[in-house]
Amino acid sequence: MKSKAKKTQKTKAAASKPKLKDKLKKVLSLSAVSRKSVLKRPGRAAGRPTAAQGQEIPLQDMKVEQAKFYTGTVEQPAYQKSVVAELEHKELAWRYGEDILVLQIRDPWWAHAYWDVSANTLERLSKELGHSFGAGSWHLRSYDVSFINFTGTNAHRFFDTSVDVDAGNWYLNFGSPGTSWCVDLGLLLPDGRFITVLRSNTVSLPLDGPSWVTDEEWMIPEDEFRRLYGMSVGLGPNVSSPVGKLWQERLKRDVSSRGIASMGVSSPVKKGQVKLPFWLVVDCELIVYGATEPDAHVTVQGKPIKLRKDGTFTLRFALPDGRQDIPVVAKSAKIDETRTITPVVTRKTTRNP
Amino acid sequence: MVKGYLCMVLHGHLPYVRHPEHEDFLEEDWFYEAITETYIPLIAMFERLERDKVNFRLTMSVTPTLASMLTDSLLQERYVKHINSLIELAHKEVERTGWLPEFQKLAVMYLNLFTHARDLFERYHRNLVSAFKRFQDSGNLEIITCGATHGFFPLMDVSKPSVRAQVRVAVANYEKNFGRKPRGIWLPECGYLPGDDEILKENGIKYFFVDSHGILHGTPRPKYGVFAPVYCKSGVACFARDMESSKQVWSSVEGYPGDYYYREFYRDIGFDLDYEYIRPYIHPDGIRINTGIKYYRISGPDNEKMPYDPDAAREKAASHAGNFMFNREKQVEYLYEALGRKPIIVSPYDAELYGHWWFEGPQWLEFLIRKVAFDQKTIRMVTPSEYLAENPRNQVITPSMSSWGWKGYSEVWLQGSNDWIYRHLHKASRVMTDLVRRNPDAVGIKRRALNQALRELLLAQSSDWAFIMATGTHVAYAQQRTKNHLLRFFRLIQDITGDSFDEGFLKELEYKDNIFPEIDYRVHQ
Repeated sequence: MKSKAKKTQKTKAAASKPKLKDKLKKVLSLSAVSRKSVLKRPGRAAGRPTAAQGQEIPLQDMKVEQAKFYTGTVEQPAYQKSVVAELEHKELAWRYGEDILVLQIRDPWWAHAYWDVSANTLERLSKELGHSFGAGSWHLRSYDVSFINFTGTNAHRFFDTSVDVDAGNWYLNFGSPGTSWCVDLGLLLPDGRFITVLRSNTVSLPLDGPSWVTDEEWMIPEDEFRRLYGMSVGLGPNVSSPVGKLWQERLKRDVSSRGIASMGVSSPVKKGQVKLPFWLVVDCELIVYGATEPDAHVTVQGKPIKLRKDGTFTLRFALPDGRQDIPVVAKSAKIDETRTITPVVTRKTTRNP
Repeated sequence: MVKGYLCMVLHGHLPYVRHPEHEDFLEEDWFYEAITETYIPLIAMFERLERDKVNFRLTMSVTPTLASMLTDSLLQERYVKHINSLIELAHKEVERTGWLPEFQKLAVMYLNLFTHARDLFERYHRNLVSAFKRFQDSGNLEIITCGATHGFFPLMDVSKPSVRAQVRVAVANYEKNFGRKPRGIWLPECGYLPGDDEILKENGIKYFFVDSHGILHGTPRPKYGVFAPVYCKSGVACFARDMESSKQVWSSVEGYPGDYYYREFYRDIGFDLDYEYIRPYIHPDGIRINTGIKYYRISGPDNEKMPYDPDAAREKAASHAGNFMFNREKQVEYLYEALGRKPIIVSPYDAELYGHWWFEGPQWLEFLIRKVAFDQKTIRMVTPSEYLAENPRNQVITPSMSSWGWKGYSEVWLQGSNDWIYRHLHKASRVMTDLVRRNPDAVGIKRRALNQALRELLLAQSSDWAFIMATGTHVAYAQQRTKNHLLRFFRLIQDITGDSFDEGFLKELEYKDNIFPEIDYRVHQ
């Protein structure tokens, strides 16, 4: 049975890249040697982040880990000249000219698929399908293959998702935790035929709640398990929701309390702190400096200080409000003579408003 | 009467950041800060507990990347330089704050802290791994390993040889550092995919950890929830995190670290003081950074901050430790009745939370350990190995795929900002597997190149890069690191397949990316 295509999430804008069909045109007219260079897309920064998909982690939820990595700024490494340094200016291959389709689990509902179609495969398809190649549209066909050995025809169900083949990747919502999935990338022809081009690995989505399978030897009554589950996830033993709903309940609470996942901790420092639209900070320091004979004994406010080799000295003080008497006393090492100079400084701070 | 166990786990990890080509590299500061603020305070705590004959039990991962940095002579030398500069700054601060007694007291505190850190560092001949080893050998600390470079295993499902290499390299590195095989592993980010336990088993690892839902959503249903470990079909044991105790430390709402008397992380003199004055102690490019000297307490929700009061904060840490222990006692008493067996409460935390971010964290932990040892009889601290020896009979289930990241699965490491990396990482892994198959006994320069290729691949796989791309700070660095290691890898591959080597290039890589000198490329299969 074919179900309605589910909602998908597109993450990569393909606008900057040539369409696969154009690529094929070029491929067909090029020699085998230069094909590779067509499929590689130098000049594209591999490190460039793809378009945001509205699913990024809220910054405030990651403070601990961030704190670990936080030094206050970002800098670009700039190395000296060397073979390794030169290599850093190169870019990764955009694609590897392979036939590959990989499926990876994001969570109990979603998986990410990425793919690449080789020039040879495109050429073969074009030859085999003739003009319907151009009329076909690229789709991901997702097969529910839970608890079976998938033969290509025995899936419990499948659904199709129209994709931009040049995007090279897609997020698929399977929507059913605990099931297993396999995906084909292929062409859906106007006559309804689906031509499989690539087949993915199979993934098994995790459950989003406890299993219904119980263990005879290690049996536990439902209400007891619910209490234990409630305690295990930090909801306490007196929860009323049915077992299957408890995980959702915990997740909901985590969202509202901004999480307790490892990096999901928010800074207590910033708790409830409002970023001010405008602010001003002012503080004062006082520099006391002077000079005497290099071998003289000098005290400032009664405390001995060290002179530089040339007999000069500099002291720096954070200056609070109020009056500071700063007697500087220098005693000669050679003759019986002492001199005292006492700056008197008063700081008074007013605020308006 | 002992009615249950408490298993405190610290996950000590930093990505491999080492740039010999730069005199002063910003991201290396992560490491220096963690040494001063987390690793050294922990070791100092172990020493005090040992001196006072407190027979403590703590489990701690020291990841292979962290262990490699801690034993690297260049980084050790640079740390001494770093701490010397901090000591100089602290001296100036003591003088500068002469008319502000509240602040001068703090400046003196930092001066002592830094001086003691340097003393301890030198006392262990600059090798903190040997310090950790000492407390493992005394039976108080159980050190576990981790993926070689903290690769996130659930996103290596199509690259199992890389998972195997991550584990094997880690085990070899552990043996080199600690003189025996690791009994347990901290799966990077707690990322578990059913079946990965087989690879752990191959390597003699007896247990690992998952987040709560790893066991709770396992099949069949776990009879004891997260309060007893389970065995995977492979026979490897799996312990799960207890959320209640985690929440008390981690949570932004209920968590201890947010207490108004604790030190404020975000007010650092690197940002607060006059530019010309602080300039020699920030980045040479003139960018303001954290110095580690912070004078304020969290104070409250406003931006107005009050000076930090170490004595008041210490009181708080003691009372929070008491509260934590009281709650565990109640929890254990309840569970002991409910389960009909002694529960184990597993409380794992990022080690760097303690000290670096939560300044009073090590104090809190020390109070907790002492109180558990002397003030009560209901709970006993254990290591997972000890627990399994005493409680060998446990249910067999298949844990659920899970991680301890935001939302509990792979989304942190697989989203719009970082999903582009997997095409390249998987490709590199396939190429590596293929080369290992075709070169079962490479010698000479080819062997060196293959070993270096594996180093580059492992370094590219660090989950930290994807994580940083997702969080938005230092993104350029994380992207560049991923890209660089992959480019270096593919360039090496070119040489290996063409059987024509650029020894200068290889040498430069061996010097720059010098991690795991003992590596054997054949582990990648």
